Order: sequence, then C-alpha cells, then structure tokens
Amino acid sequence: MSENNTAAVETVLGTEENEDTQKDKYLTFHLAGEDYGIEIRYVIEIIGIQKITEVPDMPPFIRGVINLRGKVIPVMDVRARFSIEDRAYDDRTCIIVVNIEGTEVGLVVDEVSEVADIPEKNVEPPPRTGKSTGSRYIQGMGKIGEEVKILLDVQKLLFDEEMQQLMGTIADEQE
Amino acid sequence: MTMNIDDDQIEIIQEFVTESRDMIEQLEPQIIELGQDSDPETMNAIFRLFHSMKGSAGFLEFDHMTRVAHAAENLLDLIRNGEIDLVPDHVNLLCAACDFAKEALDSVESSYSDDDMVNAADIMAEQLHQAIEHAKGEDTAEEEAPAIDQTVEVGNNAELPQIEINDEMRQSFVTEGVELLQNAEQGLLAWGEKSDDPEPMADLFRNIHSFKGNCGFFGFAEMEKLAHQMETVLDRAKSGSPLASDNPADSLLAALDLLQNAVNDISEGRDGSVPDLEEHLAELQKLLPPMIGEILVEEGVEAEHVTAAVETQKKPVGEILIDQGKASPEQVNKALRKQQAVKSPGKKQTKSPASRAATVAKKQDIRVDLGKLDNLINLIGEMVIAENMLINNPDLKGLELENFTKAGQHMSKLVRELQEMAMTIRMIPVAGLFRRMIRLVHDISAKAGKKVDLVLSGEETEIDKTVIETITDPLVHLLRNSLDHGLEPPDERIAAGKDEKGTVTLSARHEEGEVWVTVKDDGRGLNREKILEKAISKGLIEGDGSDLSDKEIYNMIFMPGFSTAAQITDISGRGVGMDVVKKNLEKIKGKINVSSTPGQGSRIDLRIPLTLAIIDGMMVRVGDTTAILPTLSILEAFRPNADQITQTPDGDELARVRENFFQIIRLHEILEKEPDSRELADGILIVLEHQEDRFCLFVDEIVGQQQTVIKGLSEFIGNVAGVSGCTILGDGGVSLILDIGSLRESIEGKLTEQESAPEV
Repeated sequence: MSENNTAAVETVLGTEENEDTQKDKYLTFHLAGEDYGIEIRYVIEIIGIQKITEVPDMPPFIRGVINLRGKVIPVMDVRARFSIEDRAYDDRTCIIVVNIEGTEVGLVVDEVSEVADIPEKNVEPPPRTGKSTGSRYIQGMGKIGEEVKILLDVQKLLFDEEMQQLMGTIADEQE
Repeated sequence: MTMNIDDDQIEIIQEFVTESRDMIEQLEPQIIELGQDSDPETMNAIFRLFHSMKGSAGFLEFDHMTRVAHAAENLLDLIRNGEIDLVPDHVNLLCAACDFAKEALDSVESSYSDDDMVNAADIMAEQLHQAIEHAKGEDTAEEEAPAIDQTVEVGNNAELPQIEINDEMRQSFVTEGVELLQNAEQGLLAWGEKSDDPEPMADLFRNIHSFKGNCGFFGFAEMEKLAHQMETVLDRAKSGSPLASDNPADSLLAALDLLQNAVNDISEGRDGSVPDLEEHLAELQKLLPPMIGEILVEEGVEAEHVTAAVETQKKPVGEILIDQGKASPEQVNKALRKQQAVKSPGKKQTKSPASRAATVAKKQDIRVDLGKLDNLINLIGEMVIAENMLINNPDLKGLELENFTKAGQHMSKLVRELQEMAMTIRMIPVAGLFRRMIRLVHDISAKAGKKVDLVLSGEETEIDKTVIETITDPLVHLLRNSLDHGLEPPDERIAAGKDEKGTVTLSARHEEGEVWVTVKDDGRGLNREKILEKAISKGLIEGDGSDLSDKEIYNMIFMPGFSTAAQITDISGRGVGMDVVKKNLEKIKGKINVSSTPGQGSRIDLRIPLTLAIIDGMMVRVGDTTAILPTLSILEAFRPNADQITQTPDGDELARVRENFFQIIRLHEILEKEPDSRELADGILIVLEHQEDRFCLFVDEIVGQQQTVIKGLSEFIGNVAGVSGCTILGDGGVSLILDIGSLRESIEGKLTEQESAPEV
C-alpha cells in the first residue's frame, strides 16, 4: 500500500514544478500515530529506508549519512527529533528528502501517506502549549474534514537554535 | 544614456570587464612597485593598462571611465617622459584610479553603463588633473587643453625608451598579438559580406589599434608602422569614406599575414621585422584617396574644428568617433611623417612569406563557463565511483576472470588519469591572490605608520578557484591583524632590538594532501595574558584559565566579537575579522593552526583540503562499520603481542614498536561501535603519523586498499572531529574517511565527555 502512495506522490512531485501549483499542498506522513504535513515545495523525493552510515559526535536524531545517487546527504530521524520513542525501521519507513536553501537533508518518518491540499483558511495557528520540544516546530494545524494534520515548519526543524548549538556554527549561514 | 543593448554588445562588454579586471589585478602590484623603483618596463606596463582601458572604454562609450583612464594616462606619460618626478602621492592616486576602475567595472557589469560613476569620475579625474598641474607647477591657465596636447605628445614621442624585453613579456605579446590578429582576420573576411553594419568594422579597427599599441610598446617599429597604416585605412573606411580600391580587404589581409608572420618570428626569438615593409605600406597607401580634412589640418586649421566638421558630416556612430576623430589628424600627420621616414633606407630582410597555414598560435587558452567545468568534474567524480562499483562488484567475488581483470585495470588507469587531469583544470596559482595582498599591505602600512616588508613564497602553488575566492577575505583579515596588532611601530621595534622594518611572510605550499597558506609576522606575538583576561571578562571561560594550553587560548581569537585591541582603529579591532577567517575556512573544510612566540611573532596556518581530492585509502573495519585511512599517513600495521602493550597509571595504553612507545587510540571508541573484540591482541594496530605526532589506531581488520574520492559530509553536519569526509563504496554504501590530525582530539573530547557525564 505504501508503495502505491509513494508512486502517487511522485507523480505529483514530478508534474508540479512551479510555485503556484505547489501552494497549499502538503506531503503528509505518519509518525507515532499522528499525521504530519510538510510543505511540498521543500520535498525533492521520497526513498525507502536504506543503509545509513553513522557519523560520530552527532546529536541522537542525526542518524548519519546516506548515498543518494552519488550525493552524500545527512539523515534526521523525526521521531528522535521530537524525542518520541524509537521504533525499528521496516519496509514502510521512508526517507523524505527535502531541500532548504540548497541544503539537502533526509527525514526518516514511519510512513508517507499522501499529498493533501490544505487551503490557508483551514490552517489554524499552532497551539500554545510550550510544553514539548516538538511544538516549537509546528507551523499550524491543518484540517481536512475531521482529520487533523500537524504542519511542520521544515526550516525550524532543520535550523533551530538548539540545532545550531548542537551542530556548531555551520547552520546559521544557511538562515 | 538610453541605448538598446543587444546580445553582441553585452558580450563585448562582458569581455571588456573581464579583461580589464585581469589587467588591473596584474598591474596593481606593479603600481606599488613603481613607488619603490621606477623601472621603465613597469612604467610602460602600467601606462599600457590605462591606455587600453581608455581605448576599450571609449569604444564602448563608457565615458566616465575613459575620462579617468585618460587622466591617469596623462599623469603617467608625464612621469615616464621625466617631465615630472614620481612622488608617493602619485602611487596612491593611481591606486585610487584602479579602485575607481574596479568599481566602475562592477557598475558596468550590472547595468551595462557607467553612469552611476559620474561623481566618482569627476572627483578622480579632477584629482589626477590637479596632480599633473601641481607637479608641473605651470600651465594652470589651460584647463582641458593639456589633456589633448599630451595625447598628441604620446604620438610624437613614439621613440619610447628602449625596453629590455624579457621572455615573459615576449610571450604575452605573442599570445595577445595572435589573438588580436585572428580577430582582425575574421573581421576582414566578414567585411565583404555586409558592409552596412558598423559593428564588425569598429571591432576590426579596435583590434588593429590595440595591436599597434602593443607593437609600439615593445619597440617593434616595423610592425607598428604596418599596423598603423592598416589602422589609417580602416579608420577611413570606418568613417564611411570611399576607399580607392573596390576590394580593400585583400590588401589588408595581405598586410595581416605579414604581421602574423612577424609575430611568429618574435615567438621564435627573432626581432619581428617585416620584409618589404615599404612596398606594403605603399600598397596600403594606395587605398587612401586624400581627404579634405587631412589637408585642412596640414594647412593649420585646428584639429578640433575639422573633427567637428567631419562629425556633422556623418551619421552619429557615437562618441567612439569623437574620440577617434580627435586623434585622427594627429595620426595622419604621424603617418605622413613615417611614410617619409620609410623612404630612407629601412631594414630589409628578404624572407619568403610563410603560407597561411603556418600562422598558427603557439599557446592557446579558452574561457570556459565555470558551471560547465564543475559539471564535468562532478561527472568524472561519479565515474570514479562507478568504476569502483564495477571493478569491486560483489557479484564478481570469487570468480576468476582474467580478461575482465585486465580490461578493468586498463579502465582504472584511464579513469585515474582523467581524474587527475580534471583536478588540475580548476586549479589556479595563488600568485594572483598573493599579489592582490601587496596593495593591501602597502595601504595598511601607510595608514598604521609601520614599515613592512611583505615576503611572498610558493606563489606557484595551485589551489581550486573557488577556494581561492573563499580564502581571500580571511587573508585580508589576517594580514590586517598582523600589520595592525602584530607588528610594532618602528620605534618600539628598535627598542626591542629588531629591525625597524617588520617582515610579514605570506606563503603557500603542499603538505600532506592539503594546501597550507601561512601568514607569519615577526611582531610582538599573541599576548596570552591579554587574551585570557578578555576571555574571562567576556565570560567565555571559567576560572583563571591557567589550565588551558597555549593552543586553546590562541584559538579564542577566532570567537566572534573577540578583540584584545584596546582601541578600534579603522583597520581592525572590532573583532569581526577572525570570526570571518574561521567561518570561511569552515566552509571549505579547512582548519586553522595558530602559533606564537611572545616578542618574536606569530604564525597562522590555513590548512585547506584539496577539493574533490582522490586519495589512496586503506579501508579498515570495526564491527560492521568500515572507515578509510589515508594511506599516506600509515607507517606500518601489525598484530600486537601482549608484551608490547603497557598500561599507564592514568589509563592510557601504550604500544612499543621497537624503541618507541605510541599511544593507542581505539577506533571503536571514536565511532562508538561494538568491535569484534576489545582485546588488542585480537585486532590490528596501525601506526599513523601526522606531522610530528605518531600514534597507533586499533581496528578489527584491514579490509583492503582502494582509490577514494573524497566527498564532503554535508554542510548541515559541519566539521566532525576525527572525520575529514566520506566516500561512496563499491556497493553504494558510504564510508567515513578519518582525519588523522584530529583523531586524538576526538578521543580526548569523548573521554572528557564521559568524565563529566558518566551516565551517558
């Protein structure tokens, strides 16, 4: 099933190149029982889980690097990023490759679901709980009928202050 | 100026910008040299810079640039002819003119016009004029006139000081000459096809004009004469007057061939004389029917009036024409004089003209779009990986394939050669970068009131072009620091028993697969106490810092906003510079070494990895992880006996190799992996050397040797202690390349981490 979804997602990615048609479109995925979404314009491709080479001295959510057709890109485990309990990778686990201002990063998620259209009016501002580390990266809550998707701010997810401290000073150049 | 700029024009402008930039870059150091010894050769080179710039800018209608270049040219001309003495102010002024030109070029590049520069040009030209006036101390009544007069003088004083021509100059003359002549030839050949378009004609004229100028400066009188005659003909044709022949291009082409032969002659070390010069000049002269303006000028009518008259007579081709129109009467005069001169016995060399085929350039280069080059190099990088995948394909394991192996080896060899070739393409010598610093040092030393000798070495060392761009700013900051903080003022130096002139050395060299760029000064050195004091006051360290090593303390200067300078001068002291150094070096995965001896000076090494380097790697394994060690760093490898191992009281393990003891670093601790066995006797110890430092690395097994293409670990990850990059293996997996230099740091970092947070 996941494979079908991935294929569907890829057609969307492949055919819709320009900004306008990408507006309000989100790639949604499952993570620990919740549905999340990220803006489609950041997404380059979705690949199955593959062998990750660990890099020493990294924060726990940076799982290492992978070879994406000759390019070496770092991989971040989104569960670990939100301090959600680990789960063994399986054949549904996907890596969403995103590109933010020239930096490519792979995001490991439990399962990719679909590309959803969530118009601005259906997006609520993020809740002000301020409790968990995760809520800081929320861009808004997207509603599709009864379903709720947590829309993530990819920029913050990758280049957060905390992240910068962990990664040294490199990251702030990309901001 | 609202002009419609078509693509051709843009191309010409872009070329002009690149060329001018190159020239300025080349000549700026020489201008500074000029202050030290005014060698006629240097003088002429600089003169030529402004002259060509004036010409090209005039052609492209960048009037403000033309004006400034013209003024600078005047000043130089007066100096060259010994009419005025060179004073340091002139050097500064010329430097300022270069700065102006650079700025103007930027403006031209972005907007295809130098209109923005009008105020700057006014100021600059005014300053130059004032300098001339001032130096001459006379002729204050004439405002604009001297400028024109002096141009005429340039023409008249065609007997230039005899220049000592060295091979390098000769070579550059030949390269440039061949190019100009080839362009001119194309122009001539195209002439017949569409003579309505003024563009190719103007281009052709410019080529011949530049060539003539070059010949003049090099003292190739015969070639100059011929080129000049061609120019005269072209000038006439360009202004729309009829020529005496229906097919002038043929005569011109014949003359062009002669020039080409002469250039070849020069490249072979002869004197570039033109056989039967007189005849050819006469041949060209035939093309010229006498012109009314010419006669008028000769009769004593003022040149400008004639020009104006000529101007109104013609379609406005723009200010180029004004410029050239002004010059034309004087050129004609000169030509006439020359023609007479030719009649007196000239040097004649009978030599059969070589065939057209023989007139081929000796040395050629072409400008390539950097993007294309990068793509090529990336592709080759990919190819090396693909080749590895193929040769070391897991499917082939255990098969005996004699022919395949042979073919594979052949391919590996080719791929490797290709790789090496590709690497050298992007590399350019640091000489250009270093020379730029001469100017900087000159300026700063004057500002800071210090006497400095800048010593350059290793200028021929080649570094990747983008890397050179990245380290330009850091070098500027480092030199500033050395000059402003490092070197003492002259009186303080004398008091300390040093030569009052400080020495700053800028050097580049290859060192263990890296390029090291070093800035060294013999100043007062870094002040440990001051840095420490500052660090404590800024709360950057805890305690009194007495437990910190010199190295750790010196590295603090790279923290943002860290400056020990008591006063902020306009040169440095804000504490931004060193931060820039660090940031930029991080970008290219470089490292910085700081060392300093109080009272004797400090030294900063920028260690720059060769980008897209390919190294010989030794693959080692720990548990299920592999890593690559640069083979260059490996001294030996052995399986240790228990009696070779000693444990020190503080927990360090030492291995005895013959007479030496080396600390053992366990790779599994660095990579945080579970090894096959923790018993040293079960694994392999590899003795590694980094600079003076030697130690043993404990691994499970040596897997084998392989060609390794270094890839950066994404910028997102940044620098990792102990890891210099990674590579893609034959099976598509990624393997880390270990950085021998920082392995020790990495393990020390881990140990302190464990001590402070034992629960991890």
